[in-house]
Amino acid sequence: MRWFAGIDLGSAYSKGVILKDVEIVASHVVRSGSDYRASAEAIRMELTRRAGLSQEDTLHVAATGSGADSVTFAGLKASDIVCTARGVNSIFPQARTVVDVANLSTRAIRLDADGTVTNFTVSERCAAGGGRFIEVIANILRVDLVDFGRLAARSEHPIEFGTGCAVFGESEAITRVSEGVPKEDIAAGVNRALASRISSLVRKIRMEEPCVICGGGALHKALIQALESELKADLLVPPIPQITTALGAAISARAAVTEEMR
Amino acid sequence: MYYAGVDIGSTMTKVVIIDGGDDLLSVIKGPTGPEHRQLANQVMAQALEQANLQIGDISFIVATGYGRVNVPFADRQMTELSCHARGVSVLFPDARTAIDIGGQDAKCMKIDAGRLVNFVMNDKCAAGTGRFLEVTAAALGINLEDMGDISLRATDQVQISSLCTVFAQQEVVALLSRGEKLENIVAGMHSALAGRISTLARRLAIEPRVVLTGGGAKNTGMVEAMREKLGCAISVPEEPLITGAIGAAVLAKEICLKTADEHGTPPAKPRRLEKATFFIEENP
Repeated sequence: MRWFAGIDLGSAYSKGVILKDVEIVASHVVRSGSDYRASAEAIRMELTRRAGLSQEDTLHVAATGSGADSVTFAGLKASDIVCTARGVNSIFPQARTVVDVANLSTRAIRLDADGTVTNFTVSERCAAGGGRFIEVIANILRVDLVDFGRLAARSEHPIEFGTGCAVFGESEAITRVSEGVPKEDIAAGVNRALASRISSLVRKIRMEEPCVICGGGALHKALIQALESELKADLLVPPIPQITTALGAAISARAAVTEEMR
Repeated sequence: MYYAGVDIGSTMTKVVIIDGGDDLLSVIKGPTGPEHRQLANQVMAQALEQANLQIGDISFIVATGYGRVNVPFADRQMTELSCHARGVSVLFPDARTAIDIGGQDAKCMKIDAGRLVNFVMNDKCAAGTGRFLEVTAAALGINLEDMGDISLRATDQVQISSLCTVFAQQEVVALLSRGEKLENIVAGMHSALAGRISTLARRLAIEPRVVLTGGGAKNTGMVEAMREKLGCAISVPEEPLITGAIGAAVLAKEICLKTADEHGTPPAKPRRLEKATFFIEENP
């Protein structure tokens, strides 16, 4: 029996997956604190508990994400682009384009028939181009992220945001709320603005179908719908979209061990 | 003859009254609230009181700033760019470049013989405007007004790696908790904003004299950071906030003199200083 872990330490969320050979036996997502090392340790503790691992079991760990260096117990550090591609390829082998909507930024990746990365682009580190924009406005509307999606889905007249900046968007949302614009129209407006930003990023790498959406943004059905209508394509969604990159890291750990044994 | 300039900015409302010799008779500043119209009236009333004048004594009033359409008693509205360029030229006749750091935008203007000849501006991204400092200062729990003094104590500049204001807000708090000195972080914030504004300004050929205005120019640390990034001397008006309002008042004078009839009487316009209403009252 061989155990492989992938830990994806992001700026907002820390994600982890344990593979027993090829099968996912545990996964975990927590909010990243300011102490990346503590987040990494917390993820490992919870993953091993969920997988029922004991002290004697050897766990091969690969780390990825902006906090990968803080995963001191990892034997391997892997590129997040490669990990996302590997994770997606293991779930949807036919995928040719991946859109990873994270909190800090959005990444668009092109894959060839073997699942190898042929091109990618990353949004500028701007809150209006990633999931953070949704968080900022949800905070103004005083709704949690789940309700935000539900609200947006109900809107018939989404508002148009005048700027592409999350800070100015925040002021704009406050003004709209005080003007009596329904919350659902503001929420749907945010999804639209974000979808338009993401779609221009995806077009840069010449999208080819099938296209997969993963990352925390893929938890928002209304965002997916807005993006589908922008891209004029159906999007595939993994069962737990947030752990896709961590899964790819675990696969990288497995690949490294297999390579060594050869 | 008296003239007034009213500048309703996103953060502050400014009114100045001048006489025919361009001398300042009153200067009033107040925060811009959600009720522009009411505020414009209030600030104007204060300015009149300070100058010991009545509304009817003012020959011409020019409104500017993003709230300029909400000044019911103004005789004309003009863009903040024209008013700013004019204001800078009145204060520094040899000025060729003006950089205005506002609460919601940043503008760089090229001036020739007192007239605006070219400009670039950023009102799309908060990270290149005064809002960047406002948001990050709030995250650190310090007053915007104290930032300049705090940064003067800096022994080093902490590099702020986030481009976006939203992420920088988080980063500065993390830097503080990691043990970086507050003054060094604040110096880093000034440097980050100055870097972005100078990149914007370089799209125009920067020529001396360079004048810095707007709320950002009230921050000594910010002025120092701009000097460093641009690599040239920078002049700052005594009260940088009222540059646009001064320009508006001077333009009011010019328009009034140009449109006056042969007896020197300016075109009369009925004007009342009262709360404006969106509805037309019907006569009974």
